[in-house]
Amino acid sequence: MSSELEREIGHDEFDPKGTLGLITIYFLILVVLWIFMYFVEFVGGDLTVVGVIA
Amino acid sequence: MNIHTYEKFWLLASMALIVGFILTITYGSVGLGIAMVDDSEPTVDPENLNDHPDFGDPGVEKAGENEYDVYIRAIQFAFIPYQIEVPAQSTVTFHLTSGDVIHSFSVVGTNANTMIIPGEIATVTVETEEPGEYGIVCSEYCGSGHHDMEALLTVVPQDEFELEGDE
Repeated sequence: MSSELEREIGHDEFDPKGTLGLITIYFLILVVLWIFMYFVEFVGGDLTVVGVIA
Repeated sequence: MNIHTYEKFWLLASMALIVGFILTITYGSVGLGIAMVDDSEPTVDPENLNDHPDFGDPGVEKAGENEYDVYIRAIQFAFIPYQIEVPAQSTVTFHLTSGDVIHSFSVVGTNANTMIIPGEIATVTVETEEPGEYGIVCSEYCGSGHHDMEALLTVVPQDEFELEGDE
């Protein structure tokens, strides 16, 4: 079996940098979209419903 | 248990994201005072809205310094009154009820949007800012004339606002 392997690496040596990069980009998109949706579209729009929490 | 560094990073980041969502909504309700429509209002008799002290004569009423109450009745297929004028930079509370079926009150393009249920009073308090015109539509299918059910909300400059007797 091991003769077919090109090289063997340990658990912490496996570093999928591309995947990490993609996930970081997705994460940043999520954060930016949330800020835009909540603070610009929802709170920034006129006639926002206000009141006291019952 | 051996968790990979990147996996730990992702777990922490997604946790932080959820905490962030909760924090923004908490800030919105506590800091900015954004509220949802609730069931704190009393009920009314939808058959006898004409006898109701407020809904019998719907329209705009002054409630205080820069505060206005607007009473609106929804029927198939209109809002009474269908032209509403409120001043800019003021706090306006819409009181809504229906005399027949479930309608809705949607100020198009804004967050002011609620169902109007017969027998119930829905109240929506908004802060008006700049003068402008907003269309109001019924977004709850209420019958064959649903698509014609509309009203106009005009926010006028404060010095041009006059409280009309009856609309």
